[in-house]
Amino acid sequence: MNDQFLIDKARENLKEKIVEITNPARRRIFLEVGLDDLLASVSWLKNDLGFTHLSTISGVDLGETFEVIYHFANNYCCLNIRVKIPRDNPLLPSICELIPGAILYEREIKEMFGLTVQNIPDGRPLLLPDDWPAGNYPLRKDWKYERPPEVIPGGEK
Amino acid sequence: MNFQIPIGPQHPALKEPIGLRITVEGEIIRDADIRLGYNHRGIEKLAEQKTWIQNVYLTERICGICSHSHTTCYVQGVEKLMELETPKRGLYIRMLISELERIHSHLLWLGVAGHEAGFDSFFMYVWRDREIVMDILETISGNRVHYAINTIGGVRRDLDELQVKRILDSLEVLRRRSQYYLNLGTTEPSFVARLARVGYLSREDALSLCAVGPTLRASGVPMDVRKDDPYAAYDEVPFEVCTAGTCDVLGRTVVRIKELFQSYNIIEYLMKNLPTGPIAVRAPRRAKPNEVVSRYEAPRGENLHYIKSNGSDKPERLKVRAPTLGNYAATIKMLKNGFIADVPLIFAAIDPCICCAERAVALIDARTGQEKIMSLKSLKELSLKVSPTTTRKREIEWPL
Repeated sequence: MNDQFLIDKARENLKEKIVEITNPARRRIFLEVGLDDLLASVSWLKNDLGFTHLSTISGVDLGETFEVIYHFANNYCCLNIRVKIPRDNPLLPSICELIPGAILYEREIKEMFGLTVQNIPDGRPLLLPDDWPAGNYPLRKDWKYERPPEVIPGGEK
Repeated sequence: MNFQIPIGPQHPALKEPIGLRITVEGEIIRDADIRLGYNHRGIEKLAEQKTWIQNVYLTERICGICSHSHTTCYVQGVEKLMELETPKRGLYIRMLISELERIHSHLLWLGVAGHEAGFDSFFMYVWRDREIVMDILETISGNRVHYAINTIGGVRRDLDELQVKRILDSLEVLRRRSQYYLNLGTTEPSFVARLARVGYLSREDALSLCAVGPTLRASGVPMDVRKDDPYAAYDEVPFEVCTAGTCDVLGRTVVRIKELFQSYNIIEYLMKNLPTGPIAVRAPRRAKPNEVVSRYEAPRGENLHYIKSNGSDKPERLKVRAPTLGNYAATIKMLKNGFIADVPLIFAAIDPCICCAERAVALIDARTGQEKIMSLKSLKELSLKVSPTTTRKREIEWPL
């Protein structure tokens, strides 16, 4: 199993679902698919090629769109599935049915980027505090941290 | 009768403080829930505001025990973005530090495992020998914890003949001592009895929950980034991936001790074949717009950095996935249907820090909601006492 074999397999099985496939370095494949084809692609990757290990899920804020990258790895290659999500309708299907280990990463991306993960088995907050104000998504590019004014208890008003 | 026991989130030695809520029925854990973020520092957001070189020092501070793992993972990604060719000698020194770090982390873990299993003389012996590695690290880098040896394009300090000789000499001592620990750890009857069949994680569960590192390898899955995706010069160095098939804490112990021997062999090879030449090349201040996925085998498992550049002197995005996060989902699985007295041991088996110190645990009575605080030590004692109403250990079906 090498990079070319995987690319050929992907072209053969996913056909028009592939938006772009690149191989920028040895053992690194970036595969971009449409959002609707994400589950089918992950399912193909897991069942046909045996990629069971999801390293993590990365999110990038590109302005108009969000880019979500699923980093899969096996003993030969690191395959990254990329999907783009529009900013005005940030919906993402959950892959926990296929990869149960994805739950923590999905919860993380959900609260950091404000994406709505559909069918997530457990959507509670994971990293941010319980009293975090709604509508604040720290890893979005337009979010800036403002230090709250310091109040000394019993100090001057 | 179900009790809910919150554990954490505060723990000074833990790099990722974690809140656990464990539901117990008698002595059996029925459910475990996890809550992270008590000490979330926003490093990924901060990294977007720092320059490439500043981020080397930022990533170093993600973790204390595997500080070199994060910088190496970051630096080798940035080197790809900047299209730099790192000199061979620089790569060898980088690998030397990462193997020394693996040895000190595994020895630290081994001591903690001994301590948790009630084998304190083992703990003291192992930690005494760990000092040999810490001294080597100090002579090479000047520091015991944050080595600050990596820079973009190579390493910051060179080795001299005397240091190479000293490293090779101390390997002999470490090999002899580790052989003793291997014999002791795998044959001492009470130690083995305490570790065997605790924290069971089947091969299928380990794969589906995306466990990493020794936890995964102890479930019989030979996955090691050094072998699968060789970075630095690992494709030149002969070594083996260590696995165990027992899927329990004993297996994780054996895997880590075996990995110690592999690390000694790697260091011996590196020191005997150390190339001559420069240790670093000059790095540009900016990187062209591109993206890179950098993987690294930290002592606790696969470490992954996703770095995206936008042409400026700062990264567009730096995503860090530390190995412990990958193991949390598997830990929940290990805890379920185990005994409450095994919680410290199961936790120690994935992360060496959580059990170092005494911690306060709040017990909430599920019916009255009354809380009482007790130390982990008295909790251990309580769990050993069998009250007339709780299920007796010998009467119930073995949960594993």
